[in-house]
Amino acid sequence: MSRDGIAGLAVLAASLVLFVLTLDLQDSPMVPVGPGFYPRIVLGLTALLSLGLVISDCLAQRQRRSEPPVAVATAVAAKERLNYPLVAISFGVFALYCIALPGLGFRIATFAYVVASNAVLAPPRGLKGWAGSVTLGLLTAFITWLVFERYLSVLLPRGRWTQF
Amino acid sequence: MKRFTAATTGVALLIALLPVSSALAVYPDRPIKMIVPWAAGGDTDNIFRPFAPLLQKYLGQTVVIANVGGASGTKGAKEAKDSPADGYTLFAVHDYIHSTYYTGVSDVNYTDFEPVCMISSTASVLTASPKTPWKDWAGLLADAKARPGQISVGATLGSTSHFFPALVEKAAGIKFKYVSYEGLAPRMNAILGGHIDLTDANMTQKGKVEAGQLKFFAIATEKRNPELPNLPTLKELGVNVVYDVNRGVMVSKGTPADVIAKLESSCAAAAKEPAYAQAMKLQATDVRYMGRKPYAEWLKDNDELNKNLAKDLGLLKR
Amino acid sequence: MFELLGAGIVNVLQFKYLIPLFVGTLIGVVGGALPGITITMTIIVVLPFTFGLEPLQGLSAMIGVYVGGETGGLITSCLLGIPGKPSAVATTFDGFPMAKKGEPGRALWLGIWASIFGGLLGAVFLVATTGPLARIALQFGPWEFFSLFVLALSMVAGLVEASLAKGLVAGALGMIVTILGNDPVMGQKRLTLGIPMLEGGIDFLPVLIGVFAFAQIMSEVERMGGAHKAIDAVQRGVSLAVSHLKIILEIVSRPLLLLWSTFIGLAIGVLPAIGGSAANMLAYDQAKKFSRHPEKFGTGTPEGIIASEASNNANVAGSLVTIMAFGIPGDAVTAVMLGALTIHGIQSGPLFIVQNATLAYGMFAAYIVAHALVLAILLVGVRWMLRIVEIPKATLFPVVLVLCTIGAYALSNTMSNVYVLLVFGLFGYAMVKFGFPLAPFILGVILGDQIEINLIRAIMTDANPWLFLTRPISGSLLVLSVASLAFAIWQHYRQRARVATEVEADF
Repeated sequence: MSRDGIAGLAVLAASLVLFVLTLDLQDSPMVPVGPGFYPRIVLGLTALLSLGLVISDCLAQRQRRSEPPVAVATAVAAKERLNYPLVAISFGVFALYCIALPGLGFRIATFAYVVASNAVLAPPRGLKGWAGSVTLGLLTAFITWLVFERYLSVLLPRGRWTQF
Repeated sequence: MKRFTAATTGVALLIALLPVSSALAVYPDRPIKMIVPWAAGGDTDNIFRPFAPLLQKYLGQTVVIANVGGASGTKGAKEAKDSPADGYTLFAVHDYIHSTYYTGVSDVNYTDFEPVCMISSTASVLTASPKTPWKDWAGLLADAKARPGQISVGATLGSTSHFFPALVEKAAGIKFKYVSYEGLAPRMNAILGGHIDLTDANMTQKGKVEAGQLKFFAIATEKRNPELPNLPTLKELGVNVVYDVNRGVMVSKGTPADVIAKLESSCAAAAKEPAYAQAMKLQATDVRYMGRKPYAEWLKDNDELNKNLAKDLGLLKR
Repeated sequence: MFELLGAGIVNVLQFKYLIPLFVGTLIGVVGGALPGITITMTIIVVLPFTFGLEPLQGLSAMIGVYVGGETGGLITSCLLGIPGKPSAVATTFDGFPMAKKGEPGRALWLGIWASIFGGLLGAVFLVATTGPLARIALQFGPWEFFSLFVLALSMVAGLVEASLAKGLVAGALGMIVTILGNDPVMGQKRLTLGIPMLEGGIDFLPVLIGVFAFAQIMSEVERMGGAHKAIDAVQRGVSLAVSHLKIILEIVSRPLLLLWSTFIGLAIGVLPAIGGSAANMLAYDQAKKFSRHPEKFGTGTPEGIIASEASNNANVAGSLVTIMAFGIPGDAVTAVMLGALTIHGIQSGPLFIVQNATLAYGMFAAYIVAHALVLAILLVGVRWMLRIVEIPKATLFPVVLVLCTIGAYALSNTMSNVYVLLVFGLFGYAMVKFGFPLAPFILGVILGDQIEINLIRAIMTDANPWLFLTRPISGSLLVLSVASLAFAIWQHYRQRARVATEVEADF
């Protein structure tokens, strides 16, 4: 089974679980159809569609098997190698930022995030490189703070631990 | 380049340190958000929009209106309830807070808030689509008796716009069919297109009657409104219903007393502004100011009243 | 109508609106020129700035970004041979060869002037059709709206990707996002999965920001860290000076090409959720088919540049029509605009133009004035654009993500929206990796609640379910949506004979 089939199975499972959950929903006092009416339609439809995706993938799989697999292999080899660890680390740093934001406050967390993320994406060389990262972090944190809080009356999170 | 970097870093640090000194300043030291739990262009929005800049004048901080519509106005109520009790989130409320609680639409009750002030009172008007065949109340009544449960009414379910037609229903001995349309603005769209027959509106929509986009049948006051002297009251027509919607400002429970006091005094001053009276005249709404204490008393009475109404109408779910 | 437009232009020319419009246009031109930064991403970055502004100020800034971005993309396309954004891909085919042949100025300004002509022709269409279309839409009851939204979804699912099943599943997943938390009619809790944060439902903007920003940025990050390809750029010292009159003549002397490309751009724009990336390729293809010398395409022929650039600017006008008359976003950029309208509590849809005439005509005016601003910006600054393009991605991406975070947070001043951003960022990236199109997903998220509300309203107004088919407008819309699905299936079978090619995700 290829990635389509796997994705289809995952969606099928999720929609079935949610469908079962809608069965517990109570009807609403003022609306002729309860809050579960539309979700059941959507989830039923999704389940059918994802089932279709799985089936068509299996059929395509059989067809593919009958053909020589050379074309597929070369296509994979031709694809450039992708840097997945960097993607994972980038997501990780951003997740940490989201978690730290309410605790550290916008300014500190943003400064730390920008420096860290910049350093991950392009490892700074020497003191000058780090100075560049730190400057970028400071500028981003404080210019956005200034513009949003002072001029646009958009309030940004203050730190629960730092009161800053 | 290096000197430039150092200089900008220095400036940035300086900017960073500035707000620390002002953090200890007295309330309010930053902009205040006012949650209007309905779409813009509705009546609640029309009443609080002119009020906000006046309130801002006395508070000395920007008051930003945030329209948080959805789920019979309870989405905004939930957001207001969950906001920190620091006086930076105000809640523009009306009587629906009681009705949605008793009809089981929402778990948020008026007791989840601290009242600040009441600012206005708007009478309900029974309104019909221009595409309906009836010329007046008598025509509607005859048709409604002939076709029970067929005439559609657009309403925010469980809210004041549901209660008012329900009271009319009961008093006149007829039966309507209700369709969910959140807030006055979408109801006006639907009634314009003829997708619903009747709705609860108020004098804020007077302009549309003159333009032939709506038909007013009757107003739910004791006496006729001087702005539209030709419009009969429901009482005159033999339907004993008097109904109005009262709007005020609340904050989260637990907001410090000095913050509420500051809000109350600003609110009182803003409500006395001639500009406010002028704006309310345009909306054909009465200025009805009540301070914190009388408003709290009034809320208690009104809550009891709404509970009984819900019970009478068979909508009570608590 | 046109006096209202005149008043709108006078209104927008006030400093209060002109400054956000100018800043937006400038950011748009820069964002459009930066490879790896799409217009969608640029507009997401601008979004939080508009929270604190008046509605027309914020929308002016966004329209500026949109128009500026469509034009800015051609700079990198022509001079570096890398498309600044998907909707300028076709411009590289002829723009870069022409620039390499020693005529970079001609390539660049042909593109810029074609953009402006295409855009202004689009403006005529925008102003002339939005009102009448909105009047038609005013007759729409809940049945018609339900069917219209269903049509929009099925069209997008069918047209965006080669695989219809995946497009439909993506759309359905978007609708599932809207059923979580509570129901939009009575606010009753449902499917909260035990997460208190979900009780209020999920706002569509953090989902949109997360999906688009992360899918795009992480797809770039994947390719970082490896050996960089040397850029075969046009030398910096070369002169870009041209005779503008000659260039304008060159475009105007091909009226049919200009009009047809503009028409294609508009048509693609009006169709929901298909952006300029489809418009410029289609227009280029058409220009090649109708040309007397198709063999010259790809070697630096002016027709190729004109077709691509006129169509992608006209596409903006088409998208604005759909959002203003029906409240359906024409692409991801207008979806963000729809969000900005919602934040200011303005409902887009048939009554928008009537109830908010000043705002609507202000938006038309901003669209027109933005073209003049783009021209001014490029006349002065085209030289510096090449420098700005050299900003490293490692610098850009963290700043962009910080602004995305602010955008999500400031929507309702809660962290929960930031967590939504993170979760859907991961989800969006996974969708791209599994080859699911993003456009139907986003449209599903945006329209899900509206579909439900209109369905329930229809049932409450009349219990007869056949009304969806027997009401003429509603019925024909549903027939059209079935037809669009059938067409997609037919096309799918036709294409199966050809080699299945991996299509780049459409942002």
